[in-house]
Amino acid sequence: MHLTETTPHSPKHIGVTGIGAYVPPQLRTYQDTAAAVGMTEQWVLERTGIRQRHIAKSEQATSDLAAEAVRAALSSAGIGADQLDLIIVGTTTPDEICPSTACRVQALVGAQRAVALDVAAACSSWLFGIQVAKQWLTTNTDIEHAVVVGSEVYSRFLDFSDRATAALFGDGAAATVLSRVPQTEGFGPITLGSDGTQAEHAWIPGGGSRRPASAITVRDRAHAVHMDGRAARVFVHDVFPQMIDQALSASGVKPEDVKVVVSHQPNPVLLRKAYARTGLPEDRLIVIGERVGNLGAGSLPYALAQASAEGRLQTGDAVLLVAFGAGLTWGSTTLIWSGATIGDPSPFIPSASSAVSSRR
Amino acid sequence: MRGMALAAAICGVGACLPPNVVSNDDLVGELETSDAWIRTRTGIERRRRVQPGVSTGDLAVAAGRAALVSAGQSADFVLLATTTPDRPCPGTAPEVAHRLGLGDVPALDVSAVCSGFIYGLAIASSLVKAGVCARPLVIGAEVYSSIIDPLDRDTAVIFGDGAGAALLRGASSEEPGAIRAVDLGSDGSGSDLIAIAAGGSRLPARNGALSRDLLYFRMQGREVYRQAVQHMTASSQAVLERANWQPRLIGAFIGHQANQRILNAVGDRLGIKAECRFGNIAEVGNTAAASIPLAMADTLTRGVVRPGKRTLLTAFGGGLTWGSIALNWPDVLPLYMPPQAPPACQDTPGSLPGSESHGPAVQPWLLPTSITALNGTAHEAEHVPS
Repeated sequence: MHLTETTPHSPKHIGVTGIGAYVPPQLRTYQDTAAAVGMTEQWVLERTGIRQRHIAKSEQATSDLAAEAVRAALSSAGIGADQLDLIIVGTTTPDEICPSTACRVQALVGAQRAVALDVAAACSSWLFGIQVAKQWLTTNTDIEHAVVVGSEVYSRFLDFSDRATAALFGDGAAATVLSRVPQTEGFGPITLGSDGTQAEHAWIPGGGSRRPASAITVRDRAHAVHMDGRAARVFVHDVFPQMIDQALSASGVKPEDVKVVVSHQPNPVLLRKAYARTGLPEDRLIVIGERVGNLGAGSLPYALAQASAEGRLQTGDAVLLVAFGAGLTWGSTTLIWSGATIGDPSPFIPSASSAVSSRR
Repeated sequence: MRGMALAAAICGVGACLPPNVVSNDDLVGELETSDAWIRTRTGIERRRRVQPGVSTGDLAVAAGRAALVSAGQSADFVLLATTTPDRPCPGTAPEVAHRLGLGDVPALDVSAVCSGFIYGLAIASSLVKAGVCARPLVIGAEVYSSIIDPLDRDTAVIFGDGAGAALLRGASSEEPGAIRAVDLGSDGSGSDLIAIAAGGSRLPARNGALSRDLLYFRMQGREVYRQAVQHMTASSQAVLERANWQPRLIGAFIGHQANQRILNAVGDRLGIKAECRFGNIAEVGNTAAASIPLAMADTLTRGVVRPGKRTLLTAFGGGLTWGSIALNWPDVLPLYMPPQAPPACQDTPGSLPGSESHGPAVQPWLLPTSITALNGTAHEAEHVPS
């Protein structure tokens, strides 16, 4: 309880006090993708809108990307790793089956006193992790800072004979530091949901307890991401406007007061179509897919980092957050920004992506 | 927003053990070990193993349903702690929630290896106290037979398959089952002590031609033993201090069923009375994230702890992770179910959500005595329709 006495921050108001992201330097362009999946460059651009993706170096696993993002977020928050009490990693591509990737990240960043765990809710993992961290902070007044990371190395789980998925997914990570914030800031009520009837619409079928890795699963390409693209589109078109309405009604934020809409990023074409159904102004949507593809659990926090880096978020601005992913899982909330800024915005500013597209 | 509860309390407990019992003698053939060696070094006499194709989700559905029937209530949030999810993506929990007939409640997997159930209980407790949900279902489920090297003597005899579950609800902190204090910890610098090198983004399984040492679960036994005793003891002391409870007044102590010698060492160091230490490692081995709820279900079945007694749970596992919970012993009737086969509707993606039957052919049953007395035989004979 001493926190309420010594700081103006509310024990019930948890917000983002630091943000950072990381993508590995190596690129796979849409020209590379077109060649790899055996389609035209025009097909790749028209179907996905993804101009380039980042590919992890061979020695980099999901925890390495996550650790870079956490370091950037800690720097943004102005705190040291030794001040972290909780590390939650959301990922569908953990370093190993055992132990958790969060424990690897803990060791990499040197957050010795933190509790570390992974949460798995596919592309919604970051928001599910935010709910866990938010309530952990709310109910444990001796806990000060949590970091929630989304990180993926999809490049090791792609099957280039399956163009529907091989053209979409990229490698990258983004992290948010959560702390107590003034009463006028922070996350609104978080709505989450799941529908296990459609677990196989987007999945990696092999390598778990149902089908442990074997010569047969390798032969069957069961260790790659498989997706029913049509089912995914139907789901996104349905769930996206519902989640927007849900977040607005739960928080009481008016549509005209929403500064930016930050969503999971399936691909720019699908995202823009789904967003158009909400009736919100087009320029409020943050789109990162052109430059990084679909980063799975990393997409949503990466888009949030981009919004901050572009200077579109000032203290007090309302962000609408929408998550959806395999499982199926989904969720939404609002976030009143607390002023966190990216240390080095150069990788995020829009001119970076136009520079790439003009290389041809 | 729901009202804030003072505490979260366990109001239902369920368990699932595969019917197939594997004795020490069944395993010693190629391992250069013996029944006597395994018993004296680990305390394990037998364990359960699923048939190939039976997944963690199948066990989780059974334990989860048993917990819901035990509580006589439904759940509005599902946390599944496991090291062995059905597949890398998506999480196993949403499918489990659906098979339990829970509709579109939030469902996620939690990964903290053998400490996963304690982590899950701690998270569920904070969700209830914050008013985010009213009745979270926490499941620990594992099919370690899918990751264990049958030729590795150090691990092949230790691990078993199974699942346990607990339903929580808001309560006063004085009620039976109420969680009084929590202590969690992690140390990623020990990540390699308990690990599977391949199968993730570091070393994908698809690369093929990987050695047994990379493909299977490996444990540095001696160092794990030392760290387990140290962290379970320190974490237990921390949580008891937080609850303001004296170790000698603990009425029930259940540690992660990793190894009887570790449990003895922790109990001795804490000063817990011998007659207040409970577990079923002899019968089920180490079931990782399922270990604590399975031991709780076994102890509840035997009816040897009075509801409300001061209880200490402590776990340690890969990561490294550890955690302890101080709670009042719950006043619940634990139920058991056999593994649930996956629904046929999985093969018909066209079926509408909610159109398939959620009712299983088999209902949970109550065991008259400890599961230890049955050794996995004649379960059907004990079937009590509920």
